[in-house]
Amino acid sequence: MEWKDVLPVLVGGLVILVVALVVKPALLGEPIGFASSGSVPAGDPPVYVPPAPVPTATPFPDDGEAYTRSFRWTAIDGGVRTTEVRVPEALFLTHRGTSRFSDYNSWGRYALADADRPLLEDLAHRIAPPAANPDEGYFRLMNLVFFVQQIPYDRDDNTTSYIEGVLPSHAMYVKDGVEYPKYSVETLVDGRGDCEDAAILMGGLLDALGYDTVLLRYSDHMALGIRMNEFNPYYAKYTPRHFMYGGQHYYYVEGTDFDWGNISVGSTAIWGRPHPIGDTSGTGIPSVQSETPQIIPLRYVPEPGEYQIRPVRLPAGGA
Amino acid sequence: MDPDTPEPSGLRIPDLKIPGLLKLTADRRKALATAAAAVVAIAVLLVGGMVFVSFHEGQQVAAFNSHVSASEADLFLVSGKITSHMRTPTNDLSVAECDAHVREFAAIANYGRAVTAYHRRIVAVDAVPEAYAGAQSAYVRALDNLNRAFTFWSSAASAYEVRDYNAANRNIAEADKAWQEYNAAITDYDRELRVVEEGPEVPPA
Repeated sequence: MEWKDVLPVLVGGLVILVVALVVKPALLGEPIGFASSGSVPAGDPPVYVPPAPVPTATPFPDDGEAYTRSFRWTAIDGGVRTTEVRVPEALFLTHRGTSRFSDYNSWGRYALADADRPLLEDLAHRIAPPAANPDEGYFRLMNLVFFVQQIPYDRDDNTTSYIEGVLPSHAMYVKDGVEYPKYSVETLVDGRGDCEDAAILMGGLLDALGYDTVLLRYSDHMALGIRMNEFNPYYAKYTPRHFMYGGQHYYYVEGTDFDWGNISVGSTAIWGRPHPIGDTSGTGIPSVQSETPQIIPLRYVPEPGEYQIRPVRLPAGGA
Repeated sequence: MDPDTPEPSGLRIPDLKIPGLLKLTADRRKALATAAAAVVAIAVLLVGGMVFVSFHEGQQVAAFNSHVSASEADLFLVSGKITSHMRTPTNDLSVAECDAHVREFAAIANYGRAVTAYHRRIVAVDAVPEAYAGAQSAYVRALDNLNRAFTFWSSAASAYEVRDYNAANRNIAEADKAWQEYNAAITDYDRELRVVEEGPEVPPA
């Protein structure tokens, strides 16, 4: 064999290589040479863009116009207590001018409103002063519950429920009448409210003391659920009602006192019997005794159940 | 002529030259050379072709590897953001902190969507050897499901912004489903890869 015999073979191989590596990629628009085909120009990989910060609320000045309200209530020891609440007018008017959420699930925001928080913390500590003895925790809790229960009840569609004497512009007209969930300071300034207003105020005050609470929504009523490990006092003549949520026990607490009544005919003096924790039979509200309420946490953030990204093995053949 | 050494006239060695045979030998040599050249050519083509195909497939797998690797590196960053976000306790946040928490959730969802869409575009057009087609398809499916999950997260955050918590919960439930489908796709991907690289005797994952 001579070189002249081998030459055509080498030339043939060269032609094949040129066709495979240059001509075909050029025709198909693939990269020329040994570079892999199939890659697409995709630009730079995405980067994380942090969210815009949530605007912080401007504090309302304490030295401006304010509503001052006096409260008088019977504490758990039978003694009469009084306190005063001062609500900046600007804060109250801002809330009154805020539209309401029709979705019950977001009503916890009224209890936890950041602008109301300092005022609620102050009030909660005056109603239930910190005690050195941890056994007094129950009395602190009940004093706060009793305070809210003794705020007069008034329906949302009743103009007497508002200091302006008219329904607020953001009152929602629903099938059964009017719905207007009040911010806690609105209830304090108006000095009255209905069941959801009481539950919201009680939720806000208890949250300020560090209690975990939820709203309990019935078809025609709203109350509060307070998380307790176990509540079964020896003196109770009822089985305390509780509901499970997130693996925790939430005991029923009534925010309104439906036992209000005049002491005697013609007298304006009234009396009432506070509802203890877990007592649903004493409320006299059929839905409370027969229904299982919808549980609405005061705080809500969307929390996915699945979120683990699994690392995978890489194809080894070309590594 | 010497009589002692008479020339044996009858024993003359004949001329053994066979011109035809010589011609035949030369032709045979040429034919053999041609055949050998052809065999060498075919062998070179075969071996060269096989080497080229093998090299080309190796290059394709290497490209697929690098694209999956880049995707995993970016998903690792996304995973870090998610893990850090999920570790934040939410049981005593103020309203403003809840809002900030959900905004961060939305930002992570958008980041995850962008990352999965970006890498899906690259991995999906990779030309891979037939044996790797199953793994590639499963990986693309995983990225699609992850992208869908992040889209639902984003929708949940938007629903939260307008205080439609029921819609937010519905979107989270859909996201959880998409996440489970992502997990199934990743399991398929791992199995396909093991079948390719360890043989068909791979026990089910």
